[in-house]
Amino acid sequence: MPSVLVTGTNRGLGLEFVRQYAEDGWRVVAGCRHPDKADELNALATTTNGATTVIAIDVTDRENVRAAAREIDEPIDILINNAGRMESFDEGFGDLDYAKWEDILRTNLFGPAWVTHAFAPHVARSGQKVIAMMTSGLGSLTENSDGARNAPGKLYMYRSSKAALNMLVSKLAPDLRDRGITVVAVGPGHVQTDMGGPTAKLKPPESIAGLRDVLASRTIEHTGQYFFYTGAEQPW
Amino acid sequence: MPTILITGANRGIGLESARQYAADGWTVLGCCRDPEKAGNLAAIDGVAVHRLDVTDSAAVDALAREITAPIDVLMNNAGQTSRPRPNFGEMDYERWAHLLAINTMAPYKMAEAFHDHVRRSERRIILNVSSIMGSIADANGGHVPYRTSKAALNMAGKTLGHDLAADGIIVLSMHPGWVRTDMGGPSAAISPEESAAGVKRVVESATPKMSGGFFDWQGKTLPW
Repeated sequence: MPSVLVTGTNRGLGLEFVRQYAEDGWRVVAGCRHPDKADELNALATTTNGATTVIAIDVTDRENVRAAAREIDEPIDILINNAGRMESFDEGFGDLDYAKWEDILRTNLFGPAWVTHAFAPHVARSGQKVIAMMTSGLGSLTENSDGARNAPGKLYMYRSSKAALNMLVSKLAPDLRDRGITVVAVGPGHVQTDMGGPTAKLKPPESIAGLRDVLASRTIEHTGQYFFYTGAEQPW
Repeated sequence: MPTILITGANRGIGLESARQYAADGWTVLGCCRDPEKAGNLAAIDGVAVHRLDVTDSAAVDALAREITAPIDVLMNNAGQTSRPRPNFGEMDYERWAHLLAINTMAPYKMAEAFHDHVRRSERRIILNVSSIMGSIADANGGHVPYRTSKAALNMAGKTLGHDLAADGIIVLSMHPGWVRTDMGGPSAAISPEESAAGVKRVVESATPKMSGGFFDWQGKTLPW
């Protein structure tokens, strides 16, 4: 039975990953900051006959991440760095909150780096050996332009953190390749979640089904690249 | 005469840019952390030296209040690199956070604080000194913290380009070349004089269409 570890699973896309992998019979390690408050996740986990373990992982707390990596002593086929945060759409030029920017960079950039470092040994001794970083179309420099599918301007904190994360994927790839690990950036599309908002057309089941197909078919030749949930390679 | 504000003006490309703009008769506002140690900068005719630590938001705001004249070119040049080269798993995260503060957040903060000064000027240019190492498509590796900070800076520049277009402000992210400075080292490809002159030429010929883009010191568009 293959296994997956996902961070940020208490809601949204993370929760949908858990739902689909569990339904498919995978061993699922579901990380979230506050398992005691993750009612929907816990209810889901109880229906999986023990195949899903909910574990406290706060990606902004390095010691906590290390402790989780010690507790989970098993191979991880696919590690999905999904936990992330974004500022609200009404924060923009002229009123940026620098402490918040640093928090967002720590969550969206350092968090995946810490989790990847702590769990790389688990991934290296698995069959599939894939690490995914959830990025965003908003993190694409190419697509941050007039006429592209994402509205230009705004969201400086989130956009910059995801561009930096994309750089991390690209430059970690050689190090991880030495350990047989494939690392990719993946874009879920604009999905109807708390983060994506109610007007998004894409629903979580479709986005996550697409991403699971993409991840199932990634091999070392794809390492260091960025893929959309449809499987299309994306520009930086 | 036009005015340029340069951060990190005490050495390297910043110092050489101060020299070249001053020689052209521009008013140069040269900012650095320790004016006491910036004798080379102070010695240039036409340069006013200002004390500024760009990571200190309150100090940036205070300087923006102190300087009332329009600023034609805001040159965000102050930056640091990650040294020694860290491998995966050995990165110093507090150092990384500092690089993000100085290389990514500070140039954006300068743009916020001096937005009105630039808007009131004739040329209206914000120049972020980036690096080819901020190109995700660049095939080289290493220096991950520095690279992420410059990719994030490029994103801030691209976003600023959109947001400030209505004010007629042109935002450029530029790779100054591999320059023989303290940062670039003695075996680098070009001199500070060549680099600064090249960057200056690109700034002089900048058009609104270029805003938000990423260019090298010879004006070539670089890949993201």
